[in-house]
Amino acid sequence: MRYGDKVAVDDLTFTVKSGLVTGFLGPNGAGKSTTMRAVLGLEVPSAGKALVNGRPYASIPRPMRSIGALLDAGAVHGGRSAYAHLACLARSNGIGRARVADVLDQVGLTDVASRRIGGFSLGMRQRLGIGAALLGDPGVLMLDEPLNGLDPEGIRWLRDLLRSLADEGRTVLLSSHLMNEMALSADHVIVIGRGRLIADTGMDALAGHFQGDVLVRTPLPERLAGVLRAHGAAVVTEEDGALSVRELDAARIGELALSAGIALAELSLRGASLEEAFMRLTEDSTEYRTESGTGTGNRATRKGTVR
Amino acid sequence: MIDVIASEWLKFRSLSSNLYLLACSVAAVLACAGIAFMIGRGFDNQTMEERMAFPGNGDGIGNGIAVAYFVFALLGALAITSEYGTRMIQTSLVAVPRRQVLLLAKVPGLAAVALVAGQVLAFVMHAASMAVLGDRAEQLLRDGVTLGTSLSEPGVLASVVVAGLSMAAVALIGLGVGAAVRSTPGALVVLTVIIVVLPVAARTLPMPLRAQAGSFMIENLPLQIAGVGGGTLPPAAAAGLLVAYVIAALTAGATMIALTGRRIKVLAIGTAAAILVSAVPAAAAGSPDSGPSTLAWADCEDKNLVKQLRCASIKVPVDWAKPSGRTIDLTVGMLPATGAQRRMGTVFAIPGGPGGSGVADLSKNAGSFAELRDRFDVVSVAPRNTIDKGVLPYDCLVSGPWITWPDTRTEYAELGRRNRAAAERCRAADPEFFDHMDSASVARDMEAIRVALGEEKLSFIANSYGGRPGIDYSRLFPGRVRAMVFDGAVSPYMDRAQGRVPHEESFTRFAAWCAATATCALHGQDVGEIWRALVARADRVPVPVEGESPQAAYSGFDIKEAAAPSIISPGPEPEFPRWTELAEAIKRAAGGDASGFADYVRQSTKSPKVPSFTGMNMTHCLDGPGFRDYEEYRDKRREGERLLPNLAGIELWHPLACVGWPAPVTNPPAPLPAKGLPPYLGVGSWTDFEGSADIVRRVPGSAAVQYQGLGHGLYNAGNSCIISHVNRYLISLRLPAPGTVCRKAVT
Repeated sequence: MRYGDKVAVDDLTFTVKSGLVTGFLGPNGAGKSTTMRAVLGLEVPSAGKALVNGRPYASIPRPMRSIGALLDAGAVHGGRSAYAHLACLARSNGIGRARVADVLDQVGLTDVASRRIGGFSLGMRQRLGIGAALLGDPGVLMLDEPLNGLDPEGIRWLRDLLRSLADEGRTVLLSSHLMNEMALSADHVIVIGRGRLIADTGMDALAGHFQGDVLVRTPLPERLAGVLRAHGAAVVTEEDGALSVRELDAARIGELALSAGIALAELSLRGASLEEAFMRLTEDSTEYRTESGTGTGNRATRKGTVR
Repeated sequence: MIDVIASEWLKFRSLSSNLYLLACSVAAVLACAGIAFMIGRGFDNQTMEERMAFPGNGDGIGNGIAVAYFVFALLGALAITSEYGTRMIQTSLVAVPRRQVLLLAKVPGLAAVALVAGQVLAFVMHAASMAVLGDRAEQLLRDGVTLGTSLSEPGVLASVVVAGLSMAAVALIGLGVGAAVRSTPGALVVLTVIIVVLPVAARTLPMPLRAQAGSFMIENLPLQIAGVGGGTLPPAAAAGLLVAYVIAALTAGATMIALTGRRIKVLAIGTAAAILVSAVPAAAAGSPDSGPSTLAWADCEDKNLVKQLRCASIKVPVDWAKPSGRTIDLTVGMLPATGAQRRMGTVFAIPGGPGGSGVADLSKNAGSFAELRDRFDVVSVAPRNTIDKGVLPYDCLVSGPWITWPDTRTEYAELGRRNRAAAERCRAADPEFFDHMDSASVARDMEAIRVALGEEKLSFIANSYGGRPGIDYSRLFPGRVRAMVFDGAVSPYMDRAQGRVPHEESFTRFAAWCAATATCALHGQDVGEIWRALVARADRVPVPVEGESPQAAYSGFDIKEAAAPSIISPGPEPEFPRWTELAEAIKRAAGGDASGFADYVRQSTKSPKVPSFTGMNMTHCLDGPGFRDYEEYRDKRREGERLLPNLAGIELWHPLACVGWPAPVTNPPAPLPAKGLPPYLGVGSWTDFEGSADIVRRVPGSAAVQYQGLGHGLYNAGNSCIISHVNRYLISLRLPAPGTVCRKAVT
């Protein structure tokens, strides 16, 4: 799948399991949105097919009852009320008014249902978009960056909601470019970069795969380093003189220091952040990167354009 | 699909901006009212003559329709461009992934709103225009329409309803354009071009391109569909075009909204549909009433004729009883239709005389036909009896004997011998042709021209003696007459003395004018008494023309014949030059010198007394106004003397010219058919109205309009009021109400 001469998504195949919240991760421009849009028939792959339950999305009658999608919380007409917006969408898929009220309640917008969307914050719009996705009570939910703009309370609410939806046996796929968000939200994670699949794994396995180190401070860093290395540890001396120790757990380090008669000023377990794990995974595939290499570049410019 | 339509309706309804936009259409009403106000004000400040030349304001919607279209087009465009502008389209397409369905589902709701709002708006626009124009709307104009047309007029209700429908069509065009362009500003630009720029650009084109291009503009389609003007398209073709525009715009939208790679199919289907709905009615409407003309139209050889006049030649048999016998060529002239409106056919202007050339008349009076030519070709002919045709010697035809008023059988026979001798002098050049100058032959020539023109039917304006070939055509070819106007025609059915009663009334007006006008030579005297004494004395002892050699003298009969034209046509107000001249001539004749009459008679006839033109008599005498015998003459004379105290005898002047005529009467007056003719219109002035009125009275459903003033040949002369009634009749076959009169224009 291409935009001009740029390959957006290349031979990407993965399965999203029901009953789980699956995170869809990748740096900006990795092809997350493009993939979702292809599934929803908003993009036509230059080769291959995007099928939903074995058929093209466009051929599904009343598709909102099969797939609930949130691609862009801003893709609404600001002149309509929240209620009218949802009512329009519901009507197009033969969904009754009662369901609209239920969903408004579910996303916490009942009080502002009659207000114009134009006055909504990004967080409220996210809630509205999620409400739209839920309208058809679909078995599959596909949410693109749903956590953007939500306040901490909102994030917690959404996590709980997605969890409960997954627990009902639904398939939930949510994308993000932030690993940390995903760590608390997803059970399973699919990581892509430059349109290719990089990882398709459980969240636990991912965290385990990228274990952390142990930070040790001591008045005698060279000596302790020597002792630890003698017991098979990988030791790196950091700038402030602290030691970063791997391949030995904290308890064993404490024992070895005690038996060597070396005092410890600090002994702490440093968990590797998922963020770091994600960074390492996608280092080679980051499409847009600032010089400092943090991976926060522009969002894919074509996002939101219906072709 | 129903769900999606309902959803789109909900979308439309839930945006209050749509309501505000619709409210903006009130600007269209203001435009209509404002322009109607300007027209009304301009109207009030003009003379009657200038008012008559105003273009009609029609149903009044045209002035604001572009504004209305703009609002509705924007309404339609926003239904889709606002989705693109807000990216709502993405959400919509996820809910309704079939893109053409999404677009077309917007049609029913939009159309329903636009249909209702369009109707309301159209009627309010019409009502506003009419209300502002007020009574002025009823003024009939030269182009045959009233300044404003109310709903009770034919076609107006339809044109208002269709104008409302066209607003709905424009809303759908806006939707299609919006979908194709996908941006509100872009759609605004395209729609402005379609609704405003193109029509304005079309108006800058030269004729007839202007009319042709204008006919295709959306704003001109409603009138064309209703068949009340607006352009050159027939109703079915105009309706087809409007639908095709909608289909084309929606096709463009559906094509562009489709995903790349699937567009060709949509484009092909839509294009085929658009072509089908526009081409089929256009082909079906191809005017079945007009075939191709077999006449070879070219510039006229006579360079004195106006440039716009086209000429052609047609061969007709000299004797219609021998169609394959000897032929002569007639020159046919045409002032072609301007192309400003849909051509309705051909109006044939029958020239008077007898002996006048219709081609020369068309050239001289081209201005009178300007409005009629928006819809008709105006055709005439230099008929077989045209005096300057060249077959018979012109000088002979424009001269003739002086007619006397026989008091005895012997004088009657003497007059016959003189008449015959004069006729034979001209007849000798071509006796066969001379004996076939009757109006029935002229009518058959007109039928030959109709066939050559390829027209199923013709409309006619018969001027003066042209009424006679008009009557003969009606008798011979009643099924070929679409409409016929008699303007100052002489009725062959009417008692001749009765027909001259208006001349007596004119004489009374002349006498009254003289009494009231100091510059009249007879001012302060009893004009009637002087006149009657003069003619009585002159009938006993003719009044000589002083200084005339050879000697010429005016009998009372001669004086009446010389005075009659001046009595009925006094010339322009307020001087009335011919009345002034006449009073002077009477005064001098009373003093024993007839040269006052001889002077002005000589100017127009090159003879000191009025000659009886052989060129007129060659037709008159075959058309049968003559007397069977002396007894009939005597009876008629008595009747005239009873009815006409001042002018007795002038009614016998033409019949007396046929006493002793060498050719037999071949075309005596015969009644018009009782059935099969359309209602006719007669028009005329104080002095010539009765003849026209008498003719059309014989055709059921006909009407007549009198101009309350003097003149002869009112349409040709450019009388605006008469032209307005005649044009309305010729265009829409609508006749004025009984008792309608044209008052003299008050300046």
